[in-house]
Amino acid sequence: MSIDPTALAVEGSFAPADDRASQAPSRSLIRQAYHDTLSSVGARIGLAWLFLLLFFAVFAPFLANSHPYAAKINGKWSFPAFTFLTPSDVLLLVAVAVAATLFFWRRFTFLQSIGILSGILLIAAVPVRHWVKPPDVDVLERYRDYQAQGEIQHAIYAPIPYSPQDRLRDQPDARLRPPSRKHWAGTDTNGADVFSMLLHASRIALSIGFLATAISLVIGIIYGAVMGYFVGVTDLIAMRIIEIVDSIPTLFLLIAITAFIEKRNIYVLMAVIGAISWTGYARFIRAEFFTIRKLDYVQAAVAAGLPKRIILFRHMLANALTPILVSSTFGVASAILYESILSFLGIGLVDEASWGVLLQQARAGGAGFVWWIALFPGAAIFLTVFAYNLVGEAIRDALDPKLRKRD
Amino acid sequence: MASYILRRVLLMFPTLIGVTLVVFFVMAWTPGGIGASLISNEQGMRPAERKAMEAYYRKRYGLNDHYYVQYLRWLNSVSPIGFKTSGQGFPEAWRFGLKPPDLGEAFATHRRVSEMLKDAIPITLLLECLSLPLIYGIAISTGIAAARARGKLVDVGLGFTLIGLFSLPSIWIGVLMIGFLCNDSYVHLFPSNGLHDMRSDAMTFLPNLSGGHFTRGWMLDMAWHLCLPVICLSYSGFAFLSRLQRGALLESLGQDYVRTARAKGLAERVVVFRHAFRNSLMPLITVSANILPGLIGGSIIVETIFGIQGMGKLTIDAVNSRDREVLMAVTLIASILQLFGNLISDLTYAVADPRVSYVD
Amino acid sequence: MENRFGFKDMVLATLIIVLIVVVLLGMVQLDRQWKALQSIGNKSDDQTRLLASIERTLNEGITVSNGNGLNGSQPTTQGTTSRFPKGDPFADFKEAEAHPDFARGDWLIDNATAKVKNITYPIADDLYSQWIQARVTEGLIYRDPMTLEYRPQLATDWKVSDDGMVYTFKLRKGVLFSDGVPVTADDVVFSFEYLMNPKVNCPRLRAYLENIKSVEKKGEDQVVFTMAKPYFESLDLCGTLSIIPKHIFTKYSEEDVNNNPGLLIGTGPYRMANPTGWQPGQKIELFRNDLYWGRLPTFDRCIFLEVEEEAAQETMFGNGELDIFATQPSQYERLMKDPKTTQHANHFAYDSPMNGYQYIAWNEKLKGEPTLFTSAKVRRAMTMIIDRDRICKDVYLGYAKPTSGPFAMASPQADPKIKPWPFDINAAKALLAEEGFTSRDNSGVLKDATGRELRFKLTYPSGIATYERVVLFLKDSFAKAGVIMELDPADWPLLQKKLKERDFQAITLGWGGAIESDLYQEFDSSQMQDQGDDFMSYVNPKLDQVVEKARLTVDVKKRMDLWHQAHAILHEDQPYTFLFSRMSLRLMDKRIENVKPSRIGLNYVYVYSMPCPWYVPKTMQKYKSQ
Repeated sequence: MSIDPTALAVEGSFAPADDRASQAPSRSLIRQAYHDTLSSVGARIGLAWLFLLLFFAVFAPFLANSHPYAAKINGKWSFPAFTFLTPSDVLLLVAVAVAATLFFWRRFTFLQSIGILSGILLIAAVPVRHWVKPPDVDVLERYRDYQAQGEIQHAIYAPIPYSPQDRLRDQPDARLRPPSRKHWAGTDTNGADVFSMLLHASRIALSIGFLATAISLVIGIIYGAVMGYFVGVTDLIAMRIIEIVDSIPTLFLLIAITAFIEKRNIYVLMAVIGAISWTGYARFIRAEFFTIRKLDYVQAAVAAGLPKRIILFRHMLANALTPILVSSTFGVASAILYESILSFLGIGLVDEASWGVLLQQARAGGAGFVWWIALFPGAAIFLTVFAYNLVGEAIRDALDPKLRKRD
Repeated sequence: MASYILRRVLLMFPTLIGVTLVVFFVMAWTPGGIGASLISNEQGMRPAERKAMEAYYRKRYGLNDHYYVQYLRWLNSVSPIGFKTSGQGFPEAWRFGLKPPDLGEAFATHRRVSEMLKDAIPITLLLECLSLPLIYGIAISTGIAAARARGKLVDVGLGFTLIGLFSLPSIWIGVLMIGFLCNDSYVHLFPSNGLHDMRSDAMTFLPNLSGGHFTRGWMLDMAWHLCLPVICLSYSGFAFLSRLQRGALLESLGQDYVRTARAKGLAERVVVFRHAFRNSLMPLITVSANILPGLIGGSIIVETIFGIQGMGKLTIDAVNSRDREVLMAVTLIASILQLFGNLISDLTYAVADPRVSYVD
Repeated sequence: MENRFGFKDMVLATLIIVLIVVVLLGMVQLDRQWKALQSIGNKSDDQTRLLASIERTLNEGITVSNGNGLNGSQPTTQGTTSRFPKGDPFADFKEAEAHPDFARGDWLIDNATAKVKNITYPIADDLYSQWIQARVTEGLIYRDPMTLEYRPQLATDWKVSDDGMVYTFKLRKGVLFSDGVPVTADDVVFSFEYLMNPKVNCPRLRAYLENIKSVEKKGEDQVVFTMAKPYFESLDLCGTLSIIPKHIFTKYSEEDVNNNPGLLIGTGPYRMANPTGWQPGQKIELFRNDLYWGRLPTFDRCIFLEVEEEAAQETMFGNGELDIFATQPSQYERLMKDPKTTQHANHFAYDSPMNGYQYIAWNEKLKGEPTLFTSAKVRRAMTMIIDRDRICKDVYLGYAKPTSGPFAMASPQADPKIKPWPFDINAAKALLAEEGFTSRDNSGVLKDATGRELRFKLTYPSGIATYERVVLFLKDSFAKAGVIMELDPADWPLLQKKLKERDFQAITLGWGGAIESDLYQEFDSSQMQDQGDDFMSYVNPKLDQVVEKARLTVDVKKRMDLWHQAHAILHEDQPYTFLFSRMSLRLMDKRIENVKPSRIGLNYVYVYSMPCPWYVPKTMQKYKSQ
């Protein structure tokens, strides 16, 4: 899946007077591509699903939660769903609020927006960590107990009144119930609501997808730029390192490394997946540098005494960023897939609701084949990966002039 | 060209050393260490016994030395040239020289790794040899169909389906297949585990119909066991290749010689199959060298789900039991395959396209 | 590029077709030869069988004429004849033979749920290799599962000295190893000495046998075992030692034996097709030993599959490809109600002292510092927070029972008066309050005056579904009482390391059981040192004393009293939270008859070498050895 580097340019790039400039798409072409992408049915479906997923992920604690939004217990009002929000829940909400504001305000460019967003998050992280302290002990069936004892006068519950860790200990035979009106996707071997787990798992999938890709992008871009800038021995050695990573099948390397990590949590998985899948980006950036070097005007500028560094980096960044961001769409899809495969093989996440973990339960949970545990999480993985691939394909087709309809 | 190949082959050695170094030290630094896997998982061993056993195995596998000594020892024993323990190999009297490479002994099973590989490789190879033609056959035909019907419903539909197939996680499909197709509660069409029926070695090789009742025979039995794993292994591959084929064919259909052929008044069929098709095969061929190592990754999942004792299952078992020697051997083989795959695909690419020069 | 089908192509195509035809013909020919070979094999098999049965009748004749016991004049126990002074080894088997539908034949197909790496007798000692070894090798005596009395096997009689230090066995005559060489007293002596040879890699068996001082031959047909010190399990130790052929083992160096995964030969009812060359990965198939000294065993073959996946096992059992299926409770429950399964399968749920128990061990000393669990009151409170009945019901669906101590509840070792601590959160909270742990703020966690929280990590083996479910249940239970339990899954190597370094706060594991279990290994304070199994650093000198005394007491009644005392001490102290003991759940193909419960499980126990009284009636037989 190579991306033709000549096909793209980003707004803000300074227009070089080279032979590629004539081919380089103008601003309107980008807009055209944007429209093409959006007009493709596949991309629309994909985007729709991804936005739905994003919505689920952000608002999971409000969509599926055993704690009521508000409850009047023995005459006193309390807001358990809010008191039990974790610092990361709050940060996520802040991030979404800021992102939405920036998007609708339309004052800043994409890169600026990202900068502002990360700045605000960094600043917000300190007070949030300090102030947001949910109680340590969480008895999820508590409110149902109160209800049963008549101690709750009023309560407003989430649409799905079960947290993913709520294993319905207060109900004697809650395990392995088939889908019903009460449990939309049934319950699992422990008695937890599968639909709630699916909702909360979308957080894991999306965050692993995004952050692992971000990690690999950062590594890849820096590494590729270093390689492309310092030619010669550095490049030769650096290329060997890339070859080392590339010459082991990704899944194999992933399994070999993850299996030997003692504390496996979501951050470790992100880091490992990110640290393995950066080579494509590095190769691309390096190739981009090599092309730019040969361009007449760059050589002329260098001969005229302009700092080579600045020319190379500005040009590279301007030209390579968009294609690399496009190809990272596929990266997100494969990161999600890798996480679920690892969890499925039993060397992934522990004690967290992830799609792969659920699917593993369907295979080796000791309950035989339970169709709702097998079907729904697998379908979620499939739909998400499918959506990413659809969107990625659509963007690529839209940006590729060779595939642009001539007739 | 010869010098180019030589250079590439020589560059493989540092790469291989790097790869094995990475895997070796990831394992060496794992908490619990490698030595712990030597003791069987039985509980109720007395402390003295446990210590004695651990000491015995640590000594036997040289785990008391420093890690880099262990790594160098491993490197020496797998390389065909190196220090020799006894008088085998080429200059028999010398302590250094040509010798048969030795992959060591598996920690968990105490078997020679080479023997384990001898059992496992043919099985994985069989799976892949069955998958490859399937992948290519379907990919080429659907690719052509899509390219010819470009922009029409068939093309869009095929494109959509193929991306869908490509996105289908094989872990899901495997679980669903076993759950629905090998299960008495639903449909029991296929066996769910292994490559052979238990009674298969009492079967004749070919199916026969002696005495009025039909027996499958060894060959048919195996084919029956192979159905689901092969499907599971191939569907995402052909989805990917088919997209590639479509793109390549579209590109060559846009070339001048195709236009000329059309202008000559040749039938569309002839244009597509005689002229454009042949030239569009190139990307598929270059990719083919990379498909094989890719399938090894896929075989990890498929073999685990279907309980087939091939390379993939060997890998997972080795990872789970922290069996260093086996994992190192598998790493080595997978990397060599991948490196040669890369080389071959670069070469075919260069042969096909004279514009590409042999510069790294 | 010319696209014409030229002459060259034609030649090539013809060649390929000819090649394919030749290969096909070759295969057909091979198949025919194979059939011919099979029929030859059958015939020779019949002949061996005939010869063997003649030999056996001869042997039995000899045994009758020589059949006077060591202590011949002594009145024998009920139901014995002069041929069998200590009971008939085949009493149960003969009872089965008397059934009208009894028949020999068919195969018994079992599953080892893990890949078997090694079956060589003294080297391999995991559970599944023991299953296989128990059918191929035999000891001098065996324990009858129905009565728990010892019965003769390769010995016809035995005598115990009054102080319990000297055991004399009289050997059976005319017993052959499966290669046709007769068993002598030398083989028995060799079997012991071989295991004691430090070059042989069987540290575990060796440590077990260290109580035996010497084994000597006395005349041609007697061996004398002398103990180093009195020990309550001495007879078992001496009598169940598997007898291995000297003439085979002396052929190999110790190193060869250590490295051979498939050296297994004995006198037992079954034999390996190749007693010296099995390799892991090959099929594990035991054939009937036609030279067996006793009653000819029922099954023609015993096959051990190695299917690890639960789902696959279930499917295979459903398809009738597996005869015995050890199930998880949920599978058992489901399959028991499934008409398709019940049509072809019987089900058995039974307790056995061999099943052992699950526990949580509370570490009392972490890195030299006393922990939360140094106080016995905290430990008892922890026990009382856990609703064990609920776990048994929810996770094990009622196929497990809470235990009060380390002994099987039905065993005479356990004091029946001691009941498991009840589930009572309020009582537990009261106990914790006595130790200063109360709810002090709105975080919900119990804390003491210094701010120390009741928070701990529970280490457990990862990747086992039932463990995970129990642990999640524990987490929720503790949360309800205001105690935070964090999960700390560890794979086996890591778990070993943590146990070795005592680097855990609490750990949940299980111990296997025995007909009579010894507490020394787990609870004696000397085992705190040096990677011993008192990994929770539990010390109680009183318990040490009681256990030590019990181990040296040969008298059963007195010993049981001592075990009862030990039980009471452990119940008070709760160094472990004794969780529960699981039942064994087996589904068995219906065609297998005469499967009955016994005092240690079923009437045929895999890990012991004993005659298998199961059979398949002629009309139901499925596998024919052609």
